[in-house]
This record gives sequence, C-alpha cells and structure tokens, in this order.
Amino acid sequence: MSEKKLSENPLADINQIIHAPARLRILMMLYVVESLDYVFLKNQTGLSWGNLATHLGKLEEAGYVTVIKGYQGKKPQSQIELTSSGRDAFRNYKNTLKQILDDLPE
Amino acid sequence: MNTNTSLRDLERNMYRDSIQDGILDIQIGCMLLMFVLPIYLSPKLGDFWSSVVFLPLWFLVIFGLRAYRKKVVQPRVGRIQYGTFRKKRLRRLNRIILVFNLIALILGLLSFIQFTELSGWIISARFSIILLIGFSLAGYMLEIPRIYLYGILISAAPMVGEYLYQNLGFSHHGFPITFGFLSAVLVLTGLVILVRLLKKYPAQNQEHLV
Repeated sequence: MSEKKLSENPLADINQIIHAPARLRILMMLYVVESLDYVFLKNQTGLSWGNLATHLGKLEEAGYVTVIKGYQGKKPQSQIELTSSGRDAFRNYKNTLKQILDDLPE
Repeated sequence: MNTNTSLRDLERNMYRDSIQDGILDIQIGCMLLMFVLPIYLSPKLGDFWSSVVFLPLWFLVIFGLRAYRKKVVQPRVGRIQYGTFRKKRLRRLNRIILVFNLIALILGLLSFIQFTELSGWIISARFSIILLIGFSLAGYMLEIPRIYLYGILISAAPMVGEYLYQNLGFSHHGFPITFGFLSAVLVLTGLVILVRLLKKYPAQNQEHLV
C-alpha cells in the first residue's frame, strides 16, 4: 500500500474515534471476524454493559459498525458487524499509526 | 510492528475462546467408548447388534451436547461468526477428515480380511498410526494443542492394549482397559473445562442493550 503524506502534526491524522483503547479493541475484534454478539464482546473486552453500549453507540454513530437485531427463539440475539467504511477506517488507522511509529527516530 | 501477526493471534484467541468449552473433549471421550461398550454388549446382542446399538447412543450424546452448547454455553460465552480465514480452514478440515476416514476404512477392511495372517502387533501398529495422523491433523487444523496430546495418548492405546493382551492375558487385545481409561480421562477433562467455564461466565442477558 502506498504511504500517504502525513500533515505537520502527524498525531492530528489519527482517527480519534478509533484511537480510544476500548473502541480500538472492539474494532480489532470485529476486523478479524464476520460478526459477534454483545455477550462475546463484553466477555472479551472486559467492559461493563454501560461502557460497551456507549462505545458501540459512538462507533455506530460514526458508521463503523452496524447492529443486526434478531431473535433466537424468544430471546433477543443481536449481532454486531463492521461496516465497509469501518473496515476502511480501521485499515487507514492501522497504516497511519504504523507510518508515524516507523518515522520516529531510533 | 507486525499488526497482521497480532491480529491473527487475536483471531485465534477469540476462536479458541469460542470453542474451548470441553464439549469436544467429552465427544471424543464418548467416541472412544465404541471400543469398549460393544465388547460388553456382544455376549448378549451378538457382534453385529452390539456395534449397531452403539451408534444411536453416540449420536444421542453428540446431538445432546450440541443442544447443550447452543442453549446453555453459547448464551454465556457469546456467539461469534468466524471470518473467511477460519471458515476456509474449518471447511478444509472437514474435507481432510472425510478423506482420512475413507482411508482408515479401507485399511480397516484390509486388516479385517488379513486378520488371521497378520500378527496383533501389526494390526495395532496400523491402528495407532491412523489415530496419530488423524488427531495430529485435527489438532493442527483446529489449532487446539490439547488434541495433539490426545492423539499421542489414544494412538498408544492399541499398542499398550496389545501388550496387556499378550503378556498379562487381558481380553479383547486390552481395548476395554486402555480405551475405557482414556475415555474416562477425556470425559472428565471435558467436564472440568465445562464446569470452570460455566463458573467463569455466569448467565447474562443482553436484553437491555437491544
């Protein structure tokens, strides 16, 4: 992938929605699978229900994730997926961060 | 910084967390009973029916455990739809297992035909090699290191059984003892993993998030 030119302040190029540790972890997990449910995400991230809902809300607002609501019998069974723009944003974030770290002097 | 490697590790850890519920161990343990139960049933039911009766019993266990996983384990651990890489790998495993079973069936039939000509050691050695290769492939494809250990233990069972049969006079080539023991070990291991998992992840609902 070609390296894009970073601005004067490279940290400004970092996507702040993704950069929060909890949201980064959520996106990393969603990046490597097709979809997950809330319970799996909660168990893996160690976040409380409230925090998880807040972070997912922010990611959903940004259009990075989508929640597919469904039912397993009578119980709600929603799956969370990364959208294509979420996938692109994560990839860009990954490349930007890599470039910034690579450009640092030893 | 190799992000692809760490993402790959993350995916593998998530995959392992989604399947490490002990149910596979219990299923393998119950599968090993096929070398034990028919032997005890055959004096009453005959060789054919003692083997046939075992199959529905085994399927009952398999489907019962699957239903348990779906109804009890998954709501606690959570559900995951694997990505393309994992799906491909699991599909490949299914194909390999199918081919492997066919090869094992052919070799088994050959051993059965030559049963009177071959020594017990050769039949046991063939059986051990088949089991070792099968479990090693499964361990590699499923990425569960414990399966390799099971492969070593289970593949040793026919040889140990043959030793017990030839030197200590155990019946049926020692199969009831060796496979019965391993079956108990695997089922117990699976139960311990399952109970620990159920304690670690208490029942929770996500209704308030929907």
